[in-house]
Amino acid sequence: MTTTTTARKADRDACGPPGVESFEELIDRHGPEVHRFLVNLTRNPAEADDLYQDAALKAFRAFGRLDRKANHRAWFFRIAGNAFLSDRRKHGRVDRLDELATAAIPAPTDDAAARLDAGEALARIGPMIDRLPPKQRMAMIARKQHDLGYSEIARLLGCSEAAARANVHEAVRKLRDGLGELLA
Amino acid sequence: MNHPGIDPVDRLAARASGPGAHPCDRALAAMPARVLGDLDPGDAAWLLDHVATCRSCGRELEAFMKLDTLVGLALELGEAPAPAVRLPRTRPVAWFARCDSPIGPLLMAASENGLCELTFEGFRGVDEVRDLLAERDFDARPAGPETPAVPSATLVRAAEQLAEYFDHTRTRFDLPLDFQGVTPFTRSVLDATASVPFGRLETYRGIASRIGKPGASRAVGNALGRNPLPVVVPCHRVVATGGGIGGYTGGLAIKERLLSLEGARLA
Repeated sequence: MTTTTTARKADRDACGPPGVESFEELIDRHGPEVHRFLVNLTRNPAEADDLYQDAALKAFRAFGRLDRKANHRAWFFRIAGNAFLSDRRKHGRVDRLDELATAAIPAPTDDAAARLDAGEALARIGPMIDRLPPKQRMAMIARKQHDLGYSEIARLLGCSEAAARANVHEAVRKLRDGLGELLA
Repeated sequence: MNHPGIDPVDRLAARASGPGAHPCDRALAAMPARVLGDLDPGDAAWLLDHVATCRSCGRELEAFMKLDTLVGLALELGEAPAPAVRLPRTRPVAWFARCDSPIGPLLMAASENGLCELTFEGFRGVDEVRDLLAERDFDARPAGPETPAVPSATLVRAAEQLAEYFDHTRTRFDLPLDFQGVTPFTRSVLDATASVPFGRLETYRGIASRIGKPGASRAVGNALGRNPLPVVVPCHRVVATGGGIGGYTGGLAIKERLLSLEGARLA
Protein backbone atom coordinates (compact mmCIF):
# COMPACT_ATOMS: atom_id res chain seq x y z
CA MET A 1 0.00 0.00 0.00
CA THR A 2 2.66 2.45 1.14
CA THR A 3 4.96 1.22 -1.58
CA THR A 4 2.31 1.84 -4.20
CA THR A 5 1.63 5.35 -2.91
CA THR A 6 5.31 6.20 -2.85
CA ALA A 7 5.81 4.74 -6.28
CA ARG A 8 2.89 6.69 -7.65
CA LYS A 9 4.14 9.88 -6.08
CA ALA A 10 7.58 9.38 -7.55
CA ASP A 11 5.98 8.68 -10.89
CA ARG A 12 3.98 11.88 -10.66
CA ASP A 13 6.95 13.98 -9.66
CA ALA A 14 8.87 12.62 -12.61
CA CYS A 15 6.21 13.35 -15.23
CA GLY A 16 4.66 16.54 -13.92
CA PRO A 17 1.01 16.73 -12.93
CA PRO A 18 -0.75 13.39 -13.33
CA GLY A 19 -3.06 13.03 -16.29
CA VAL A 20 -6.77 12.73 -15.85
CA GLU A 21 -7.82 9.07 -15.79
CA SER A 22 -11.53 9.34 -16.48
CA PHE A 23 -14.13 11.74 -17.76
CA GLU A 24 -15.57 12.02 -14.25
CA GLU A 25 -12.17 13.07 -12.96
CA LEU A 26 -11.89 15.66 -15.72
CA ILE A 27 -15.22 17.18 -14.66
CA ASP A 28 -14.32 17.03 -10.96
CA ARG A 29 -10.97 18.60 -11.45
CA HIS A 30 -11.49 21.13 -14.23
CA GLY A 31 -15.26 21.48 -14.57
CA PRO A 32 -15.64 24.35 -12.10
CA GLU A 33 -12.96 26.55 -13.66
CA VAL A 34 -14.03 25.80 -17.23
CA HIS A 35 -17.56 26.74 -16.23
CA ARG A 36 -16.23 29.93 -14.64
CA PHE A 37 -14.35 30.64 -17.88
CA LEU A 38 -17.66 30.45 -19.77
CA VAL A 39 -19.43 32.63 -17.20
CA ASN A 40 -16.64 35.16 -17.66
CA LEU A 41 -16.84 34.94 -21.45
CA THR A 42 -20.60 35.30 -21.70
CA ARG A 43 -21.21 37.21 -18.46
CA ASN A 44 -24.53 35.44 -18.56
CA PRO A 45 -24.88 32.41 -16.24
CA ALA A 46 -27.74 30.79 -18.16
CA GLU A 47 -25.87 31.02 -21.45
CA ALA A 48 -22.72 29.79 -19.71
CA ASP A 49 -24.59 26.75 -18.35
CA ASP A 50 -25.75 25.81 -21.85
CA LEU A 51 -22.30 26.22 -23.36
CA TYR A 52 -20.80 24.26 -20.48
CA GLN A 53 -23.18 21.38 -21.09
CA ASP A 54 -22.25 21.54 -24.76
CA ALA A 55 -18.53 21.56 -24.06
CA ALA A 56 -18.76 18.76 -21.49
CA LEU A 57 -20.65 16.60 -23.97
CA LYS A 58 -18.00 17.21 -26.66
CA ALA A 59 -15.30 16.41 -24.13
CA PHE A 60 -17.15 13.23 -23.17
CA ARG A 61 -17.34 12.06 -26.78
CA ALA A 62 -13.70 12.85 -27.53
CA PHE A 63 -12.26 11.76 -24.18
CA GLY A 64 -11.47 8.23 -25.28
CA ARG A 65 -9.43 9.44 -28.24
CA LEU A 66 -7.30 11.77 -26.14
CA ASP A 67 -3.74 10.84 -25.21
CA ARG A 68 -3.62 10.13 -21.49
CA LYS A 69 -0.54 12.30 -21.15
CA ALA A 70 -2.23 15.27 -22.83
CA ASN A 71 -2.80 18.54 -20.99
CA HIS A 72 -6.43 17.87 -20.12
CA ARG A 73 -7.00 21.26 -18.56
CA ALA A 74 -5.92 23.19 -21.66
CA TRP A 75 -7.80 20.74 -23.85
CA PHE A 76 -11.04 21.28 -21.92
CA PHE A 77 -10.56 25.07 -22.02
CA ARG A 78 -10.08 24.80 -25.77
CA ILE A 79 -13.32 22.88 -26.19
CA ALA A 80 -15.15 25.47 -24.07
CA GLY A 81 -13.55 28.33 -26.03
CA ASN A 82 -14.62 26.76 -29.32
CA ALA A 83 -18.15 26.25 -28.01
CA PHE A 84 -18.25 29.94 -27.14
CA LEU A 85 -16.85 31.11 -30.50
CA SER A 86 -19.04 28.83 -32.58
CA ASP A 87 -22.08 29.97 -30.62
CA ARG A 88 -21.20 33.60 -31.40
CA ARG A 89 -20.78 32.72 -35.08
CA LYS A 90 -24.04 30.78 -35.17
CA HIS A 91 -25.93 33.73 -33.82
CA GLY A 92 -24.27 36.11 -36.25
CA ARG A 93 -22.91 38.12 -33.41
CA VAL A 94 -19.26 38.10 -34.41
CA ASP A 95 -19.39 40.67 -37.17
CA ARG A 96 -21.50 43.04 -35.20
CA LEU A 97 -19.25 42.74 -32.19
CA ASP A 98 -16.11 43.17 -34.23
CA GLU A 99 -17.58 46.23 -35.88
CA LEU A 100 -18.47 47.71 -32.56
CA ALA A 101 -15.08 46.95 -31.19
CA THR A 102 -13.17 48.54 -34.04
CA ALA A 103 -15.16 51.70 -33.58
CA ALA A 104 -13.32 53.53 -30.84
CA ILE A 105 -15.00 53.15 -27.48
CA PRO A 106 -15.80 56.74 -26.57
CA ALA A 107 -14.10 58.05 -23.46
CA PRO A 108 -16.15 60.20 -21.13
CA THR A 109 -15.27 63.80 -21.94
CA ASP A 110 -16.94 66.14 -19.51
CA ASP A 111 -15.46 67.13 -16.21
CA ALA A 112 -18.26 65.43 -14.30
CA ALA A 113 -16.85 62.12 -15.46
CA ALA A 114 -13.81 62.68 -13.33
CA ARG A 115 -16.01 62.72 -10.26
CA LEU A 116 -17.69 59.42 -10.99
CA ASP A 117 -16.69 56.73 -8.55
CA ALA A 118 -15.51 53.18 -8.96
CA GLY A 119 -19.13 52.02 -9.02
CA GLU A 120 -19.64 53.82 -12.30
CA ALA A 121 -16.43 52.38 -13.71
CA LEU A 122 -17.52 48.92 -12.63
CA ALA A 123 -20.92 49.40 -14.27
CA ARG A 124 -19.22 50.43 -17.50
CA ILE A 125 -16.51 47.84 -17.73
CA GLY A 126 -18.82 44.85 -18.07
CA PRO A 127 -20.45 46.04 -21.29
CA MET A 128 -17.01 47.13 -22.55
CA ILE A 129 -15.72 43.60 -22.05
CA ASP A 130 -18.77 42.33 -23.93
CA ARG A 131 -17.93 44.59 -26.85
CA LEU A 132 -14.38 43.32 -27.24
CA PRO A 133 -14.07 41.05 -30.28
CA PRO A 134 -14.83 37.50 -29.06
CA LYS A 135 -11.33 36.17 -29.64
CA GLN A 136 -9.73 39.14 -27.93
CA ARG A 137 -12.11 38.87 -25.02
CA MET A 138 -11.39 35.16 -24.74
CA ALA A 139 -7.63 35.70 -24.85
CA MET A 140 -7.72 38.35 -22.15
CA ILE A 141 -9.98 36.35 -19.85
CA ALA A 142 -7.94 33.18 -20.32
CA ARG A 143 -4.77 35.06 -19.41
CA LYS A 144 -6.04 37.31 -16.64
CA GLN A 145 -8.59 35.15 -14.85
CA HIS A 146 -7.42 31.65 -15.63
CA ASP A 147 -3.69 32.01 -15.90
CA LEU A 148 -3.38 30.17 -19.21
CA GLY A 149 0.00 30.48 -20.90
CA TYR A 150 0.37 32.23 -24.25
CA SER A 151 1.11 28.96 -26.03
CA GLU A 152 -2.24 27.64 -24.76
CA ILE A 153 -4.02 30.86 -25.68
CA ALA A 154 -2.47 30.65 -29.15
CA ARG A 155 -4.00 27.20 -29.60
CA LEU A 156 -7.27 28.48 -28.19
CA LEU A 157 -7.40 31.26 -30.80
CA GLY A 158 -5.78 29.28 -33.60
CA CYS A 159 -3.01 31.86 -34.04
CA SER A 160 0.66 32.34 -33.22
CA GLU A 161 1.87 32.89 -29.70
CA ALA A 162 2.93 36.38 -30.72
CA ALA A 163 -0.54 37.20 -31.99
CA ALA A 164 -2.07 35.76 -28.81
CA ARG A 165 0.04 38.08 -26.69
CA ALA A 166 -0.75 41.05 -28.89
CA ASN A 167 -4.47 40.29 -28.63
CA VAL A 168 -4.41 40.23 -24.86
CA HIS A 169 -2.40 43.46 -24.63
CA GLU A 170 -4.69 45.11 -27.14
CA ALA A 171 -7.76 44.13 -25.11
CA VAL A 172 -6.33 45.64 -21.94
CA ARG A 173 -5.37 48.81 -23.79
CA LYS A 174 -8.87 49.13 -25.25
CA LEU A 175 -10.47 48.81 -21.83
CA ARG A 176 -8.07 51.38 -20.43
CA ASP A 177 -8.89 53.84 -23.23
CA GLY A 178 -12.60 53.16 -22.88
CA LEU A 179 -12.68 54.07 -19.22
CA GLY A 180 -10.62 57.25 -19.70
CA GLU A 181 -10.90 59.61 -16.76
CA LEU A 182 -13.00 57.17 -14.75
CA LEU A 183 -9.74 55.52 -13.73
CA ALA A 184 -8.05 58.77 -12.73
CA MET B 1 17.70 48.01 -24.49
CA ASN B 2 17.02 44.59 -25.86
CA HIS B 3 13.46 43.27 -25.42
CA PRO B 4 13.24 39.52 -25.70
CA GLY B 5 9.86 39.61 -23.95
CA ILE B 6 8.21 41.95 -26.42
CA ASP B 7 6.67 40.51 -29.46
CA PRO B 8 7.27 41.83 -32.97
CA VAL B 9 3.52 41.64 -33.64
CA ASP B 10 2.90 44.00 -30.78
CA ARG B 11 4.06 46.77 -33.05
CA LEU B 12 3.17 49.70 -30.88
CA ALA B 13 5.22 48.27 -28.08
CA ALA B 14 8.08 47.40 -30.40
CA ARG B 15 8.15 50.86 -31.89
CA ALA B 16 7.82 52.55 -28.52
CA SER B 17 10.68 50.54 -27.12
CA GLY B 18 12.93 51.04 -30.11
CA PRO B 19 16.02 53.19 -29.99
CA GLY B 20 15.25 56.87 -29.74
CA ALA B 21 11.73 56.30 -28.42
CA HIS B 22 10.48 58.69 -25.81
CA PRO B 23 10.69 57.03 -22.38
CA CYS B 24 7.01 57.86 -21.68
CA ASP B 25 5.91 56.13 -24.91
CA ARG B 26 7.91 53.13 -23.91
CA ALA B 27 6.41 53.17 -20.41
CA LEU B 28 2.87 53.42 -21.79
CA ALA B 29 3.48 50.54 -24.18
CA ALA B 30 4.73 48.36 -21.33
CA MET B 31 1.74 48.97 -19.04
CA PRO B 32 -0.68 46.33 -20.39
CA ALA B 33 2.07 43.74 -20.03
CA ARG B 34 2.72 44.97 -16.49
CA VAL B 35 -0.96 44.52 -15.61
CA LEU B 36 -0.98 41.03 -17.08
CA GLY B 37 2.15 40.10 -15.19
CA ASP B 38 4.10 39.23 -18.32
CA LEU B 39 6.58 42.03 -18.45
CA ASP B 40 10.10 40.68 -18.13
CA PRO B 41 11.86 41.58 -14.88
CA GLY B 42 14.33 44.01 -16.48
CA ASP B 43 11.53 46.00 -18.11
CA ALA B 44 9.43 45.91 -14.97
CA ALA B 45 12.31 47.42 -12.96
CA TRP B 46 12.86 50.07 -15.61
CA LEU B 47 9.14 50.94 -15.57
CA LEU B 48 9.13 51.37 -11.79
CA ASP B 49 12.16 53.68 -12.03
CA HIS B 50 10.45 55.68 -14.73
CA VAL B 51 7.13 56.18 -12.93
CA ALA B 52 9.00 57.24 -9.82
CA THR B 53 10.29 60.24 -11.73
CA CYS B 54 7.41 60.88 -14.16
CA ARG B 55 4.13 61.93 -12.50
CA SER B 56 1.90 61.49 -15.53
CA CYS B 57 3.19 57.98 -16.21
CA GLY B 58 2.79 57.22 -12.49
CA ARG B 59 -0.87 58.23 -12.69
CA GLU B 60 -1.35 56.18 -15.82
CA LEU B 61 0.15 53.08 -14.25
CA GLU B 62 -2.18 53.55 -11.30
CA ALA B 63 -5.09 53.74 -13.72
CA PHE B 64 -3.97 50.44 -15.28
CA MET B 65 -3.74 48.83 -11.86
CA LYS B 66 -7.26 50.04 -11.04
CA LEU B 67 -8.39 48.59 -14.35
CA ASP B 68 -6.87 45.28 -13.33
CA THR B 69 -8.98 45.25 -10.14
CA LEU B 70 -12.10 46.31 -12.02
CA VAL B 71 -11.79 43.59 -14.65
CA GLY B 72 -11.43 41.06 -11.87
CA LEU B 73 -14.51 42.42 -10.10
CA ALA B 74 -16.59 42.64 -13.27
CA LEU B 75 -15.84 39.08 -14.25
CA GLU B 76 -16.05 37.31 -10.92
CA LEU B 77 -19.39 38.98 -10.14
CA GLY B 78 -21.08 36.38 -12.29
CA GLU B 79 -19.64 33.40 -10.47
CA ALA B 80 -21.99 30.44 -10.12
CA PRO B 81 -21.41 26.75 -9.42
CA ALA B 82 -20.97 24.53 -12.46
CA PRO B 83 -24.15 22.62 -13.24
CA ALA B 84 -24.08 18.83 -13.24
CA VAL B 85 -23.20 17.48 -16.67
CA ARG B 86 -26.04 15.63 -18.35
CA LEU B 87 -24.53 12.79 -20.32
CA PRO B 88 -26.43 10.87 -22.95
CA ARG B 89 -27.42 7.63 -21.28
CA THR B 90 -26.33 4.55 -23.16
CA ARG B 91 -29.50 2.62 -23.77
CA PRO B 92 -29.51 -1.08 -22.96
CA VAL B 93 -29.71 -3.30 -26.02
CA ALA B 94 -32.76 -5.51 -26.54
CA TRP B 95 -31.81 -8.38 -28.88
CA PHE B 96 -34.79 -9.67 -30.81
CA ALA B 97 -35.39 -12.96 -32.56
CA ARG B 98 -38.26 -14.92 -34.11
CA CYS B 99 -39.54 -18.25 -32.89
CA ASP B 100 -42.33 -20.41 -34.26
CA SER B 101 -45.27 -21.60 -32.19
CA PRO B 102 -48.62 -23.33 -32.74
CA ILE B 103 -50.27 -19.90 -32.50
CA GLY B 104 -48.05 -18.45 -35.20
CA PRO B 105 -44.59 -16.85 -35.25
CA LEU B 106 -43.52 -14.97 -32.13
CA LEU B 107 -41.06 -12.11 -31.85
CA MET B 108 -39.06 -12.10 -28.65
CA ALA B 109 -36.50 -9.68 -27.28
CA ALA B 110 -34.07 -10.08 -24.40
CA SER B 111 -31.71 -7.69 -22.64
CA GLU B 112 -28.92 -8.43 -20.18
CA ASN B 113 -31.62 -8.31 -17.48
CA GLY B 114 -34.09 -10.71 -19.00
CA LEU B 115 -36.86 -11.26 -21.51
CA CYS B 116 -38.34 -7.85 -22.26
CA GLU B 117 -40.74 -8.37 -25.16
CA LEU B 118 -42.96 -11.05 -26.66
CA THR B 119 -45.26 -10.28 -29.58
CA PHE B 120 -47.44 -12.28 -31.95
CA GLU B 121 -45.88 -11.44 -35.27
CA GLY B 122 -49.19 -11.77 -37.06
CA PHE B 123 -50.38 -8.88 -34.93
CA ARG B 124 -47.27 -6.66 -34.83
CA GLY B 125 -44.38 -6.75 -37.27
CA VAL B 126 -40.69 -6.24 -36.62
CA ASP B 127 -40.82 -2.47 -37.19
CA GLU B 128 -43.60 -2.03 -34.67
CA VAL B 129 -41.74 -4.13 -32.12
CA ARG B 130 -38.64 -2.02 -32.63
CA ASP B 131 -40.73 1.10 -32.04
CA LEU B 132 -42.23 -0.38 -28.88
CA LEU B 133 -38.76 -1.23 -27.57
CA ALA B 134 -37.44 2.23 -28.45
CA GLU B 135 -40.35 3.76 -26.53
CA ARG B 136 -39.21 1.76 -23.54
CA ASP B 137 -35.73 3.20 -24.05
CA PHE B 138 -34.15 0.05 -25.45
CA ASP B 139 -31.76 -0.04 -28.37
CA ALA B 140 -33.42 -2.80 -30.42
CA ARG B 141 -31.08 -4.99 -32.50
CA PRO B 142 -31.59 -8.30 -34.26
CA ALA B 143 -29.97 -11.17 -32.40
CA GLY B 144 -26.95 -12.66 -34.12
CA PRO B 145 -23.44 -13.97 -33.52
CA GLU B 146 -22.53 -10.72 -31.68
CA THR B 147 -25.35 -11.13 -29.13
CA PRO B 148 -23.77 -11.52 -25.67
CA ALA B 149 -24.14 -14.80 -23.82
CA VAL B 150 -26.76 -13.69 -21.27
CA PRO B 151 -29.45 -12.31 -23.60
CA SER B 152 -28.66 -15.09 -26.04
CA ALA B 153 -29.25 -17.74 -23.36
CA THR B 154 -32.47 -15.98 -22.28
CA LEU B 155 -33.81 -16.11 -25.82
CA VAL B 156 -32.97 -19.81 -26.13
CA ARG B 157 -34.54 -20.66 -22.75
CA ALA B 158 -37.67 -18.64 -23.60
CA ALA B 159 -38.06 -20.48 -26.92
CA GLU B 160 -37.62 -23.86 -25.17
CA GLN B 161 -40.09 -23.07 -22.40
CA LEU B 162 -42.67 -21.72 -24.85
CA ALA B 163 -42.35 -24.93 -26.89
CA GLU B 164 -42.89 -26.97 -23.70
CA TYR B 165 -45.86 -24.83 -22.73
CA PHE B 166 -47.54 -25.35 -26.11
CA ASP B 167 -46.64 -29.05 -25.80
CA HIS B 168 -48.57 -29.31 -22.49
CA THR B 169 -45.40 -30.18 -20.56
CA ARG B 170 -44.96 -26.84 -18.79
CA THR B 171 -47.38 -24.84 -16.69
CA ARG B 172 -45.07 -22.09 -15.36
CA PHE B 173 -42.33 -20.05 -16.93
CA ASP B 174 -39.00 -19.75 -15.22
CA LEU B 175 -37.26 -16.85 -16.92
CA PRO B 176 -35.66 -13.56 -15.90
CA LEU B 177 -37.96 -10.74 -17.02
CA ASP B 178 -37.06 -7.13 -17.80
CA PHE B 179 -39.88 -4.60 -17.31
CA GLN B 180 -37.83 -1.49 -18.12
CA GLY B 181 -40.03 1.32 -19.40
CA VAL B 182 -43.22 -0.20 -18.01
CA THR B 183 -45.13 2.27 -15.81
CA PRO B 184 -45.42 1.43 -12.10
CA PHE B 185 -49.19 0.92 -12.33
CA THR B 186 -48.93 -1.45 -15.28
CA ARG B 187 -46.12 -3.22 -13.49
CA SER B 188 -48.28 -3.81 -10.41
CA VAL B 189 -51.08 -5.16 -12.62
CA LEU B 190 -48.63 -7.50 -14.38
CA ASP B 191 -47.21 -8.73 -11.07
CA ALA B 192 -50.72 -9.53 -9.79
CA THR B 193 -51.55 -11.26 -13.07
CA ALA B 194 -48.39 -13.37 -12.92
CA SER B 195 -49.70 -15.04 -9.77
CA VAL B 196 -52.88 -16.37 -11.46
CA PRO B 197 -52.09 -20.10 -11.83
CA PHE B 198 -52.16 -22.14 -15.02
CA GLY B 199 -55.70 -23.11 -16.03
CA ARG B 200 -57.38 -20.67 -13.63
CA LEU B 201 -59.19 -17.42 -14.35
CA GLU B 202 -59.33 -14.07 -12.66
CA THR B 203 -61.47 -11.03 -13.45
CA TYR B 204 -60.34 -7.49 -14.19
CA ARG B 205 -62.12 -6.48 -10.99
CA GLY B 206 -60.30 -9.25 -9.09
CA ILE B 207 -56.90 -7.97 -10.26
CA ALA B 208 -57.98 -4.44 -9.33
CA SER B 209 -58.72 -5.53 -5.76
CA ARG B 210 -55.51 -7.58 -5.59
CA ILE B 211 -53.52 -4.38 -6.21
CA GLY B 212 -55.64 -2.44 -3.71
CA LYS B 213 -57.52 -0.38 -6.29
CA PRO B 214 -60.95 -2.02 -6.39
CA GLY B 215 -62.48 0.64 -8.63
CA ALA B 216 -59.79 0.40 -11.29
CA SER B 217 -61.08 -2.54 -13.41
CA ARG B 218 -60.99 -0.51 -16.61
CA ALA B 219 -57.48 0.73 -15.90
CA VAL B 220 -56.45 -2.88 -15.24
CA GLY B 221 -57.83 -3.86 -18.64
CA ASN B 222 -55.88 -1.07 -20.30
CA ALA B 223 -52.70 -2.02 -18.45
CA LEU B 224 -53.06 -5.67 -19.53
CA GLY B 225 -53.48 -4.46 -23.11
CA ARG B 226 -49.95 -3.11 -22.78
CA ASN B 227 -48.50 -6.35 -21.39
CA PRO B 228 -45.09 -6.61 -23.09
CA LEU B 229 -44.83 -10.33 -22.26
CA PRO B 230 -48.13 -12.07 -23.11
CA VAL B 231 -48.31 -15.83 -22.49
CA VAL B 232 -45.38 -15.55 -20.05
CA VAL B 233 -47.33 -13.04 -17.94
CA PRO B 234 -50.70 -14.77 -18.38
CA CYS B 235 -53.00 -11.85 -19.14
CA HIS B 236 -55.11 -14.33 -21.11
CA ARG B 237 -56.31 -15.68 -17.73
CA VAL B 238 -57.97 -12.36 -16.90
CA VAL B 239 -61.55 -12.11 -18.13
CA ALA B 240 -64.67 -9.99 -17.69
CA THR B 241 -66.75 -10.23 -14.51
CA GLY B 242 -70.02 -11.34 -16.17
CA GLY B 243 -68.42 -14.38 -17.77
CA GLY B 244 -67.35 -12.62 -20.96
CA ILE B 245 -63.89 -13.35 -22.32
CA GLY B 246 -62.84 -9.67 -22.25
CA GLY B 247 -60.26 -8.32 -24.64
CA TYR B 248 -56.86 -9.42 -25.88
CA THR B 249 -54.09 -7.55 -27.59
CA GLY B 250 -53.19 -9.90 -30.40
CA GLY B 251 -56.76 -11.00 -31.03
CA LEU B 252 -59.42 -12.88 -29.11
CA ALA B 253 -58.75 -16.03 -31.16
CA ILE B 254 -55.36 -16.34 -29.50
CA LYS B 255 -56.85 -15.78 -26.06
CA GLU B 256 -59.34 -18.55 -26.71
CA ARG B 257 -56.59 -20.87 -27.96
CA LEU B 258 -54.51 -20.27 -24.85
CA LEU B 259 -57.42 -20.77 -22.48
CA SER B 260 -58.47 -24.01 -24.17
CA LEU B 261 -54.85 -25.21 -24.12
CA GLU B 262 -54.90 -24.67 -20.35
CA GLY B 263 -58.33 -26.33 -20.04
CA ALA B 264 -59.84 -23.19 -18.50
CA ARG B 265 -63.58 -22.79 -18.78
CA LEU B 266 -65.42 -19.47 -18.86
CA ALA B 267 -68.30 -19.32 -16.41
